[in-house]
Amino acid sequence: MTKLSRGAALPLFILAVWELSSRLGVMTYESLSYPSAIAAAGWAALLDGSILESTWETCQSALLGLALGAVVGVALGAVVGLSRLASRAAGPTFDALRAIPSVALMPLGLLLFGWGLAMEVVVVAYACCWPIMIATSAAVRGVEPRLLEVADALEMSFAARLRKIVLPAAFARIGVGVRVALGIALVVAVTIEIAVNPRGLGYALVLAQQSLRPDVMFAQILWLALIGFALNALLSTVDGGARGEGSGA
Amino acid sequence: MSRTLNALPPLLFAAAALLAWWLVTEFRLVSPVFLPTPARTFDELAGRFADGSIWTSLFATLARMILGWLLASLAGVALGAAIGLTPLARDLLSPTLEFLRPLPASAMIPVAILFFGLSEQMAVFVIAFGSIWPVLMSSVFGFGHVSPRLREVSAALGLTKWEFLGKIATPSAMPDIVAGMRSGLAVSLILAVVTEMQASLPGLGRDIFLAQRSFRGTELYAGLIMLGVIGVAINHGLGLAERRLLRWRARDA
Amino acid sequence: MPDVETRTRAADAASEAPALALRDVGVVFGAEANRPVLANISLDVREGEFLSIVGPSGCGKTTLLRLLAGLMKPTTGDVLFEGKRVDGPSRARAIVFQDYANALLPWRTVAGNIALPLERAGLSKPEREARVAALVAKMGLDAAANRYPAQLSGGMQQRVQIARCLAQKPRVMLMDEPFGALDALTRQTLQDELLALAAEQRVTTVFITHDLEEAIYLGDRVIALAANPGRVVETIDVGLPKPRNQLTTREDPAFLARRHRLFGLLQGH
Repeated sequence: MTKLSRGAALPLFILAVWELSSRLGVMTYESLSYPSAIAAAGWAALLDGSILESTWETCQSALLGLALGAVVGVALGAVVGLSRLASRAAGPTFDALRAIPSVALMPLGLLLFGWGLAMEVVVVAYACCWPIMIATSAAVRGVEPRLLEVADALEMSFAARLRKIVLPAAFARIGVGVRVALGIALVVAVTIEIAVNPRGLGYALVLAQQSLRPDVMFAQILWLALIGFALNALLSTVDGGARGEGSGA
Repeated sequence: MSRTLNALPPLLFAAAALLAWWLVTEFRLVSPVFLPTPARTFDELAGRFADGSIWTSLFATLARMILGWLLASLAGVALGAAIGLTPLARDLLSPTLEFLRPLPASAMIPVAILFFGLSEQMAVFVIAFGSIWPVLMSSVFGFGHVSPRLREVSAALGLTKWEFLGKIATPSAMPDIVAGMRSGLAVSLILAVVTEMQASLPGLGRDIFLAQRSFRGTELYAGLIMLGVIGVAINHGLGLAERRLLRWRARDA
Repeated sequence: MPDVETRTRAADAASEAPALALRDVGVVFGAEANRPVLANISLDVREGEFLSIVGPSGCGKTTLLRLLAGLMKPTTGDVLFEGKRVDGPSRARAIVFQDYANALLPWRTVAGNIALPLERAGLSKPEREARVAALVAKMGLDAAANRYPAQLSGGMQQRVQIARCLAQKPRVMLMDEPFGALDALTRQTLQDELLALAAEQRVTTVFITHDLEEAIYLGDRVIALAANPGRVVETIDVGLPKPRNQLTTREDPAFLARRHRLFGLLQGH
């Protein structure tokens, strides 16, 4: 309880100083608004549904991008993980591609697809496929050799071996990569919207700043922080569950 | 002999990738506006090196990135030490920081513009805000996990709090700090590119943004290659620095 | 001259006061009040002696050493150092831990580890380097001075820890099963080196071990502890001639008699 109150002390103090100093006219933050106005703006945005609509747009591109990135990442990771030669040959090229910051692909996405959902999904997918590829190749390499001997004994084809043995056995560890990528997907989607793409939460944020509505802007940021916080909390409970399951086995 | 053999598959793969690129452009499978030929792209890059124009962009991006990263590293290590070593700082600060951490750093761009305008300071602030998290998190872990035995050694030798910080805690947390700084530098490159596009500050990020606007595909791809080279270089550079700094961890030297 | 007489008597009393003492010490961990770790322990460590403390695992040997070091406080009773109550660690009482790998600073070389206690002693750099060099030579670490702990064998690492303790010029050296993790040959070598050092430096030493023979071979006196709760069951004077010898001392009938006696005592409990 004291821990909780200590943790709340700092934000409450800042909020109180911020609110009081602007209310009492000690200082005027015309460009900054103040906490109660921000809360009102956030409430209004919730009521008229605008913030939920932009949240949906952002989630849409983040999740589609994640799905596309996962398909590519798992495929590449499986090949690289199963074949030492493929891993050695493709490793440096992939490392070089991975080193290009994903946001640098925004202009390329614009060039190829123009504004809209498609370019955002592609750039998010690019950002997401690398951690999933790495997790998949590590997971595939970690598959119990005995299981692969079973596959040999049954004379399975490469595809059957992948579908029936390798991917199910590697499933949990691939999941870890997908979870890391989910966090990346949201951040990259919002970044694209802030920088170039006129849709979703990021654009709403820029719009609020450009139309000189700091109250709306801070409300949007608070909302983004809440979404990120909730996502983190959700992922760590899933994580805890998975770990519990693992220790039981 | 075996070294050259080992280098063969990666070289062949990279050559095959280039060949595929060349074939796609040669047979006009994709319009040259969207994908220029490799030759024209590398000509563009060579031209920018030859006339020296690339250095201005390169240095602007690197300077912004490194300044933001250094500020973030200093603040991250100091905060991390405070939170990792003192329960009071942990109770006071970590809930607020945990709440801010998942916020996409780019969301701070509009706020930073409010405070600093479309300026260099704005960019450095956003870069620092984004790249502090990996340093902070790993520093908290490192300072929070100084082995109890070393704490006892420190007590038995009668070291003061500051001596403990300088001689025991900081070196003991160093592997974590360095790993965090490494991730932080990757983040700082990303944010340098984003802020350049957003605030139209000179640099590689703005170069590729402008190239796209005027449909100059070769410039765009040349810029991407340059950013990839920077990414690889900082990763390798920091890897080397890490091995040098932490050479005591090697079993044989 | 009454003045002189009282002063001499006071000095005598001081020299007879034990270097370290436990008075009715009891230790209870957490909520297990009904199962104390140590109960009613009283013992003296005499100035300049080599005291071995031996006992089975779980008898609270390490807890006892931590009390003497000041790394923890007793639940009941007092710990005294030169007549004064111990209220924390002090540079006058050096500790040698069993887990040398964790107790050395892995990021400092051998010389750097030994220099650690000297860095605040107000020594000039050449003086400090000379002291480190002397300790390096004394412990036979010359070839290893510029290497990192992870590159050394266990025996060498433990030598470094002992050298670091000597660097702080302690009046008491507290050793917690320092040779427990070493192989038999290395252990015997270090035992003899330690005896020579203790004799030369005239430093009071408390040596914890679970090895009966080691306790007798090294000690001027041996205190035997029993477990559940940890308590003193016997104190014996070893009384074997010094310097000791790995072959002749261990074959001495008196050595065997002491070993017999302690073995019986510890079995009985």
